[in-house]
Amino acid sequence: MAQHKVNYTQDGGLPVALTSIDKIVNWGRSNSLWALTYGLACCGIEMMASGASRFDFDRYGTIFRASPRQADLMIVAGTLTKKHAEFIKRLYDQMTEPRWVISMGSCANTGGMFNTYATVQGVDRVIPVDLYLPGCAPRPETLQYGVMLLQKKIRANKAGNAQKAKRLM
Amino acid sequence: MAQIKNRLTPFFENISFDREDNELILNFGPQHPSAHGQLRLMLHLQQEMITKAHPDIGYLHRGMEKMAENMIYNEFMPTTDRMDYIASSSNNYGFALAVEKLIGLEVPRRAKVIRMMLLEINRLMSHLFWLATTALDIGAMTVFLFAFREREYLMDILEGYCGARLTHAAIRIGGVPLDIQDDFIVQLRNFLDKLPQNIKDYEDLLDTNRIWLMRMEEVGVIPTDMALSWGCTGPMLRASGVAWDIRKEEPYELYDEVEFNVPFSDKGDNFARYRIYMEEMRESAKILYQTIEMYEKCVINNETELMAHAPKYISAPKLDIMTQNYSLMQHFVLVTQGMRPPVGEVYVATESPKGELGFYINSQGGPYPYRLKLRAPSFWHTGILTDLLPGHYIPDVVAIIGTTNIVFGEVDR
Amino acid sequence: MRAYKPKDDVQAKAYYTDRYYVAPQVPKSDVSEDAVFAADLEAIQAKFEVKEAYIQVEQMVVYINAHDIYGVLKFMRDELSYTQLSEMSAIDWLAKDDTFEIFYQMLSMTKRKRIRIKYFINNGEAVDSVEKLFRCADWSEREMFDMFGIQANNHPFMKRILMPYDWQGNPLLKTYPLEGDEFAAWYEVDKIYGKEARDVIGPEIRDTARVDRYDSERFARLGHEVPKGTEITGDEPANPQEYQEEGGVFLIKKYTKESSKIIDDPQR
Repeated sequence: MAQHKVNYTQDGGLPVALTSIDKIVNWGRSNSLWALTYGLACCGIEMMASGASRFDFDRYGTIFRASPRQADLMIVAGTLTKKHAEFIKRLYDQMTEPRWVISMGSCANTGGMFNTYATVQGVDRVIPVDLYLPGCAPRPETLQYGVMLLQKKIRANKAGNAQKAKRLM
Repeated sequence: MAQIKNRLTPFFENISFDREDNELILNFGPQHPSAHGQLRLMLHLQQEMITKAHPDIGYLHRGMEKMAENMIYNEFMPTTDRMDYIASSSNNYGFALAVEKLIGLEVPRRAKVIRMMLLEINRLMSHLFWLATTALDIGAMTVFLFAFREREYLMDILEGYCGARLTHAAIRIGGVPLDIQDDFIVQLRNFLDKLPQNIKDYEDLLDTNRIWLMRMEEVGVIPTDMALSWGCTGPMLRASGVAWDIRKEEPYELYDEVEFNVPFSDKGDNFARYRIYMEEMRESAKILYQTIEMYEKCVINNETELMAHAPKYISAPKLDIMTQNYSLMQHFVLVTQGMRPPVGEVYVATESPKGELGFYINSQGGPYPYRLKLRAPSFWHTGILTDLLPGHYIPDVVAIIGTTNIVFGEVDR
Repeated sequence: MRAYKPKDDVQAKAYYTDRYYVAPQVPKSDVSEDAVFAADLEAIQAKFEVKEAYIQVEQMVVYINAHDIYGVLKFMRDELSYTQLSEMSAIDWLAKDDTFEIFYQMLSMTKRKRIRIKYFINNGEAVDSVEKLFRCADWSEREMFDMFGIQANNHPFMKRILMPYDWQGNPLLKTYPLEGDEFAAWYEVDKIYGKEARDVIGPEIRDTARVDRYDSERFARLGHEVPKGTEITGDEPANPQEYQEEGGVFLIKKYTKESSKIIDDPQR
């Protein structure tokens, strides 16, 4: 997680026009993160709760989309099993770039309490992950905090840069 | 690092409609927003009519029965939370009751009352969640937002009790770990006083709504013999004309002391199931009022015991552990080695919000169960789709899946 | 010397059992104590051979012969009003005497009674499907096949149900370890990326207590994260995690506690 503070005016001597474009593109990207409805298990219920009336995810510009082709954020909410692993890769490949992945909950991070034959031990064995949220299940506030951190990360990146591959690519 | 190509090939069953019999095979899931989880359906279509349905499950199979064989009894309790994660305390309770029957424990009355409160709150939460998601699937966004609002109130109450919103682990073998918090009763009363008006709000939105009626009435009719043959229980069975509620027929806890009705219908369609869920919410509220009275009586009678007294199986109260040597040793052995129930087997069924939740435990006298089979109602409520869907149209699929109220943590375990 | 571990049962074992510990029994009572069960048992005994019957925890357990199962369940459904098959599955006794124990949990809604029908089969034998009597046995028998490898005769679709079709091994056998075998460990990697990607992705990390101070992506360096592959020296600058950048970003104001209204009572 790149966490440095962004000082847009001092950015390696690049022209001001380019940094402004960075700024405006990142502003647009970070404030309209459309998430794929990827509720796999218990965390999916908390993801729904954060989209519902009390926690109101729409404030962040985060709208849940059912199609991967309309989404740029994948919140892997729940246990990924070996039977399902193939489909998460398919859906991830169908998302348009730039795309980000939040691994929500212990099961998606490391397999969590399900240390069994049927569970993938961490979703990052299959797709690259940008943010790991701890908890079983994480509260909606955790998810919102995570999305805010992801927004910060997006703003810190260069808009024109290709996505930094983390793993598997 | 060079890019690694993946080896996944496209699915061709989606596009094999160009056959001579004009049959389209549609793949629904495993990640579909209105499949209530990871259900995959292979639908054979003749125009828009389903001729054959093949549900494929197991996308959330996490090996819980195997885990149970490798865990001491108390250690397995949090895992049961993740079965039916909409109403986790009902699973905790089902498991705790099975083990208690196995070792022959009697739970103190105050713990029983608290357990009943938790169970009914979980039932309300589950039914509210069912209403929200089904309405959302059918397109009624307002009901989704309304029902989640009420559900959050209940979650706050339970969070005050056990600290978790979703996965409670609020029940122990032999009782409950804690007494309810000070403002539990007040908050619960506040909620229950508002609940009838809330339910009326939902019904005002839905009962005479033309779209809702068209999607619900005469759709997904389950005849009685089909429901029995497929092992349907709970609201699914009661909507098909069998008034069978385990709370009433084989009462556990203090359900024989409370007054409540078992709503049932002989229509068997989606609308009947919807009506039963709404009526059950009212009945749960009725039970909760009575449990509040029972709890207050317990306080007056000074019944403070929360855990059963059985030094061989259950740790002593915290105060004894901290002050008495023998209790501390007992506690240490029970935590490190686990309790050893007698040799034998037990099957205990409880009425979870979805239907009959059964735990079959085969104990060989060791600290680990030799075999633990989880009888989850949703498993067969998913299986019935095989016989139920043929003859329906594609838009009905979502409505039917919605009213079966399946949860995949429970189906696949 | 390496500790001996039995190969035919690799599940968790109690690490210490007292030499003189005799496990108590869940009490079994005679069937004649319950009038309804006694009548049912008599009706079953008139037609089929019953090996053993007793009542345990309010339910009757009846042992029959394996080849009688279809007849017994049909008789119970049609004559004795046991209209529901709640549950059926198997118990693995391979380590003991190379058999499986199959149980059927029956429910009568009119009598409010539950009976458990049980029988033994040898390893490798098939059971008779009761799918024609109870449709729910369709899925139960598939699950049994998936988990134990027990085939059911006359079953319309004897395929795996919970595990993928190309899975190897039967997970609920006592010989199958909880963490899975070699095949299970690499299943998703082999399927998605192929065997040659095993080295890149690496083995599964199943040690729950493992903390790797050189793992820059997971939780070990929370607040001191560095990009992947960076040399870790140990004096990385701290990255305090805040909700927003100081002063907010383009068009968005910074949230302050003073300027916002805080609602304490969610039940307002």
